[in-house]
Amino acid sequence: MSKPFLQIRGIRKEYGPVTAVHDVNLDVAQGEFLTFLGPSGSGKSTTLYILAGFENPTRGEILLNGETLLATPSHKRNIGMVFQRYTLFPHLSVGENIAFPLKVRRRPKAEIDARVRAMLKLVRLEGFEDRKPAQMSGGQQQRVALARALAYDPPVLLMDEPLSALDKKLREEIQHEIRRIHQQTEVTILYVTHDQEEALRLSDRIAVFSKGAIDQIGTGPELYANPATRFVAEFIGDSDFLPCNVVSAANGRAEIAICDSMTVSHVPLHGAASSGAKAALMLRPERLLLSRTQSEAGLPVTVSDITFLGNNVHVTTKTSKGNDLSVRLPFGHEAISGLNRGDAVWLRFDAAAAHVFGQ
Amino acid sequence: MVAQTETESAKHYAPVRARRPTDFDLTLPALGLLALFFVLPVAMLLTRSVTEPVPGLGNYAELMGSSTYLRVFANTFMVSGLVTFVSLLIGFPVAWALAIMPSRLASVVFAILLLSMWTNLLARTYAWMVLLQRTGVINKMLIGVGLVDKPLPLVNNLTGVTIGMTYIMLPFIILPLYGVIRKIDPAILQAAALCGANRWQSLVLVLLPLAMPGMAAGALMVFVMSLGYFVTPALLGGTANMMLAELIAQFVQSLVNWGMGGAAALVLLVVTLALYAVQLRFFGTDRLGGS
Repeated sequence: MSKPFLQIRGIRKEYGPVTAVHDVNLDVAQGEFLTFLGPSGSGKSTTLYILAGFENPTRGEILLNGETLLATPSHKRNIGMVFQRYTLFPHLSVGENIAFPLKVRRRPKAEIDARVRAMLKLVRLEGFEDRKPAQMSGGQQQRVALARALAYDPPVLLMDEPLSALDKKLREEIQHEIRRIHQQTEVTILYVTHDQEEALRLSDRIAVFSKGAIDQIGTGPELYANPATRFVAEFIGDSDFLPCNVVSAANGRAEIAICDSMTVSHVPLHGAASSGAKAALMLRPERLLLSRTQSEAGLPVTVSDITFLGNNVHVTTKTSKGNDLSVRLPFGHEAISGLNRGDAVWLRFDAAAAHVFGQ
Repeated sequence: MVAQTETESAKHYAPVRARRPTDFDLTLPALGLLALFFVLPVAMLLTRSVTEPVPGLGNYAELMGSSTYLRVFANTFMVSGLVTFVSLLIGFPVAWALAIMPSRLASVVFAILLLSMWTNLLARTYAWMVLLQRTGVINKMLIGVGLVDKPLPLVNNLTGVTIGMTYIMLPFIILPLYGVIRKIDPAILQAAALCGANRWQSLVLVLLPLAMPGMAAGALMVFVMSLGYFVTPALLGGTANMMLAELIAQFVQSLVNWGMGGAAALVLLVVTLALYAVQLRFFGTDRLGGS
């Protein structure tokens, strides 16, 4: 990222005694698809609304191409936005909705007509220009909203959970559309969602929000393989946590003891942890190996539940300390044929694929 | 066991064929009352318009042929139109403010609105007479701050009628308009702003069109009510701008000309019903009471 296109510098938003956004810093490259991922109330929507100009930050700065954005009112920011709720103008037809931003910019009629046609083609809704929003499905309405937001070639497009009102199948369909449109238009997109799958599917990079701050920014695989905090580890992908004791820690690696019966060395360590401290060991269900025979390196557990999930089988186990640990194995795997509840099994894992989070 | 269940369910379905309390005949006493004390007197008055002093349409010919009476008709429409316009002008911002203000404050404003509606009409009109007269509070204040040298003629003219009637009609604009504006999603206006619309463009291109059903319903209601208004124009208006209801009262009370009074009343009734039909046609009965 040689020259940052959009810079968010120390943005903070306080509502009375409550701080909704804690000093968020972020650089966005031109043409990037960046997702704000986090649970509700994590500050991701507030940050987006500050970018849109609907909220003013308590302090901080936003620079677009090196120039401040905060002094400009919403209607002059030239930013596009697709909202969570349907916000097409109900009294205008689809064509008039897409023409609206061009009309208020007083563009010539011929240009507006050509642009409306191009936008309808982009979102694959040719022939719908005379429909009223009420005559269209939710998915179609959001596609028109996307066309309206892109009609004036905004440098940045904001999307605030635009698919949350749609059902799963339609959501996936429109996710594909959004990806295609992003590749086609090369517009910079800031996308807000609480759905990790959606974030992973769409984004170049993901900023994980927690309690008003960004915990980690990175590509999907980076966040998955190398979560910086326990929150990120929990939010991206499935994971289980075991309490453990740190035996020794050095150079970002730790030797730990779990369940009094087993020590593991060279586990990646996040956060501060000194020898003897309590910590949490994160294990991903698909990275665990299940063995039916006792072995030195295996953690002894008891099978408490087996769930068939089509291509996968989900085995829930309990450690001797009573912690749940899930294992995911492909259907038909030899290790689970004839496996029953209550059976004693042994789990092994690669230390490099596990993570220890200091407390 | 099965047989018993069947008889029980049969029992459950039996009362469906019984008489319902919504049957038409139960409304007959009320309809009879209406017919006797409302429809009949009106019908008798209207009958007199074609029978007195001689049978025929002479009264209507006189009403329509005289420039004096036509001026009253024109004035009635002018005043009603003006009151409707001013009510919309004041009512729209009030309804908008009500829709966006915190609900606690809104309920206080609503209480003020409703209290004014429930206060006696005559009392409110006399109150305006006191306020607007030459030595009234308003003129004294205007002279006191040096805005005018001598009292403004605020009463016994068109200004007085417009002020007094607008005040009375405002709730009938504000309530339906509030209902419509409340239903507009604020995100739609945010979308308009991000699309590049300034406040004025958002108002004209988005908010006003979306509020139009409420504005039209309220405006029609105010216009129709204004057409037949008597008390306020009689007390706050001057002789120069007489309204139709005053004319009817004069025919009946001063001139004891029941024929002409009936004819004027019929004209008013026909115009009112026609406008009411327009309102029903475009907005339906459900919109009449506001939200």
